[in-house]
Amino acid sequence: MSGKDWIIVIVLLIVGLLIGYFAAGPGKTTTVTVTQTSVKTVTVTQTAGAPPAPPTTTKTTTTQPKAQMKTPADTLIIAMDTSDAVSMDPARAYEFSSCFVVNQLYDKLVDFELPDLVNVKPEVAEKWEVSEDGKVWTFHIRKGIKFASGNPLTADDVVYSLQRVIKLKQTASWVLTQFVSTPEQIEKIDDYTVRITLDKPVAPSFFLATLTFTTSAVVDKQVVEAHAKNGDMGSDWMTDHSAGSGPFILEKWDREAEIVLKANPYYWKPGQPAVKRVIIKHVPEPTDQLLLIKKGDVDIATDLTAEQVKQVEGTPGINVIKVERTHIVYLGMNVAVKPLDKEEVRDAIRYCIDYDSIINDILLGAAIKWQTVIPKGLLGANPKTPYKKDVAKAKELLAKAGVPNGFTIELTTPPTYPQIDIATKIQADLAECGIKVKIVQMTQSEMYEKYRKQGLQLVLAGWGSDYPDPDNNAKAFGDYRVKQLAWRNSWYDDHAADLAEKAAVEFDNNKRKQMYLELTDYILDHGPYAILYQTLAQHVARDYVKNYLPDPTFFLEDLSKVSKAGGS
Amino acid sequence: MDLKTYILRRLALMLFVLFGIIVITFIVSHVIPADPIGAILGPQAPPELVEKVRKEWGFDKPLPEQFVDYIVNLLQGNLGKSIRTNKPVAEDLMKFFPATIELATAAMIVAIVIGIPLGIISAVKKDKWPDHISRIFALMGVSMPVFWLGLILLFVLYYQLGIFPGPGRLDPGIEAPPRITGILTLDSLITGNFEAFANAVWHLMLPSFVLGYYASASITRITRTSLLEVMTQDFIRTARAKGLSERVVLFRHALRNALIPTTTVIGMAYGSLLEGAILTETIFAWPGLGRYSTGAFLSVDFLAVMGSTLLIAVIYSVANLVVDILYAFLDPRIRYA
Repeated sequence: MSGKDWIIVIVLLIVGLLIGYFAAGPGKTTTVTVTQTSVKTVTVTQTAGAPPAPPTTTKTTTTQPKAQMKTPADTLIIAMDTSDAVSMDPARAYEFSSCFVVNQLYDKLVDFELPDLVNVKPEVAEKWEVSEDGKVWTFHIRKGIKFASGNPLTADDVVYSLQRVIKLKQTASWVLTQFVSTPEQIEKIDDYTVRITLDKPVAPSFFLATLTFTTSAVVDKQVVEAHAKNGDMGSDWMTDHSAGSGPFILEKWDREAEIVLKANPYYWKPGQPAVKRVIIKHVPEPTDQLLLIKKGDVDIATDLTAEQVKQVEGTPGINVIKVERTHIVYLGMNVAVKPLDKEEVRDAIRYCIDYDSIINDILLGAAIKWQTVIPKGLLGANPKTPYKKDVAKAKELLAKAGVPNGFTIELTTPPTYPQIDIATKIQADLAECGIKVKIVQMTQSEMYEKYRKQGLQLVLAGWGSDYPDPDNNAKAFGDYRVKQLAWRNSWYDDHAADLAEKAAVEFDNNKRKQMYLELTDYILDHGPYAILYQTLAQHVARDYVKNYLPDPTFFLEDLSKVSKAGGS
Repeated sequence: MDLKTYILRRLALMLFVLFGIIVITFIVSHVIPADPIGAILGPQAPPELVEKVRKEWGFDKPLPEQFVDYIVNLLQGNLGKSIRTNKPVAEDLMKFFPATIELATAAMIVAIVIGIPLGIISAVKKDKWPDHISRIFALMGVSMPVFWLGLILLFVLYYQLGIFPGPGRLDPGIEAPPRITGILTLDSLITGNFEAFANAVWHLMLPSFVLGYYASASITRITRTSLLEVMTQDFIRTARAKGLSERVVLFRHALRNALIPTTTVIGMAYGSLLEGAILTETIFAWPGLGRYSTGAFLSVDFLAVMGSTLLIAVIYSVANLVVDILYAFLDPRIRYA
């Protein structure tokens, strides 16, 4: 070919591409905007004690909705980062995405119905009694529940499932074994009655709340035993198979690709599940999730960044659903490190921090202001927020403590977003009060190894409730004897520890609530923490997805009622 | 030395290389101050549980003992069990590697289809504008970050224009063929599922272009250079003097000789593509070796990290060996030594 031929070929190519772009581009985009209209931001608020408030919905625009559904109407497709999933065996599952899936496959003795995290509801057990001394529990099993295999669910399965958790001693077993240390304490009375004897009495609401965790999922004894080998009680097989009575069956788990659930034909709740199939696509990159949800190729996206959520808010056909998670982020102050031993100094630090700026400028609104150790939504949650940035007051407190010119201290943080940005902000805030902060970056696992040995000064960390009972937070933050956060920050306060222990065994829920209010007040003033915020789950769903509520914990998500209505 | 002895000698040498790699990865992964058990159990796990699980996995034993255990197991073909997936590492690798083979092979085809013609154009039109354009095109390929190119292509060709499918290997509505090789395109062909085949090929397009474009740059450059060199040699002048057409001179005589170094580059590039392209695999939600090994690294999953590293080392050594053998095969003047 001569030089001229080349020019012609290349010019033709470029012209062709341009024509292709303009011919296909604008036309396609127009159809999308025309067909999808309604935009909402839904905020769900949990109120402790009171019946759950209905989701408050703010509609930005409302026109005749005619959302175009690109995905099959009987299949719910979720884009989620499932890298953390380890096993779908309820005796093993302890990670966000594994528990999310396990909860769709199994029924538990009792459950919470979102967004209510205070009143436990019957599930496999239709009613229960507890003895006067609070130690002996009798659960009456609902008749007529069938497993996905067609086998009826009886007391044998319940006893087997709970004993299995205790015998296998896997990661999550402590949720149950903290009350029931030996398998013999779980007994069958008759085919539909089970008795559980606790090691020592605890508050009934506390024990019931822990039973909503996926460790108490009821497995099909016959099916599991048929797959047992080398005394593993079927654990190997259960890693990627299910044997439950929940709304869905685990059809396949293609690691790093997708998790597919199909409807359980024997599910006992009439009309549920509302979809035949759920596909949880493993999409680790948030930008991909954004493109997929905007394009309508998935129905729900769970891991958009706060910036991306802001970006889709107001997009036609897409809802942003926000729920407060039971997760708190705090600044820990090791009391063993001088001058953090002085209460005035810790108080001064709490007055140095600009909480609003962290929430609005760094987290872009993906959190709420919260300053007590029990998160909003749980029993005894204390809504007080007395701390705000007040440099003058902080300096006054420092002077009172004998360190008017401040001091130098290390702040340890994982090297990830948003922690680094928050640490830098705290560094700048404390500098205004005369405290020099040296930021030390460590990987999460390295940091916790040191933290567990009381080896840090200031630390930026988070705490998520394993189950929605205040005890989980009250003991971690208040009771040094359990060797969790209070101990890691060398805060050996017997008053707080006693209070946390007493509240854990209080039978009267109202009194129990009062005790937690007292404890949280006490920690707020005297504790070794500055609670920075409570995180918000921000999920994004197409507007034809109905009844979807993000889970404030990580194991209560219930997809059985979620449906896809063709644009209603 | 004949070919057989040569290969045997190289294989023996490879064992030393691999042993060295095992020692280094073992030491590096065990002396870093991170705690795999803590990473798996999470920050809230009670200390007793951490201790118990550490014991279960044998991480409480002294390092030399752990190393001997590992080597003994390895010699029996046992790569150990992954802490993260709770499955034998060998089984995991078998599961994830085929997706990478598929992507790497497709990318290699793209790289060759782009790289060699561009190299030829560049050489033939040396210092004229087609040469400049193809060199700039190749330069863009190496200098554009793959994650950026991948996201831009997804944004324009998937989101805006809808020409190509989104991330993943198949559309949600398409039933995957039964697993035979793990390579979706191959499995769907074997089972005669042409719908899945077409869909899988369609999904393969963007990621293989992104990876292939990146790899094509070195192929373009080496083809251009070696073709230019060959074109100055005496036998080309003779061929031209004989009155052969420029086309025959170029394709029959020059190109065949010029492709020898290109083969080396292609072989090495294929080797490195087979390691799994972490960024490309992440952006296109491609469940391959790159993703598996990253997941393993992030959760400090020792045995999985070592297993993946070992596999990559084997691939690289074998690719090297194959290239060396091919080299001599293509050019009989080269002897094994």
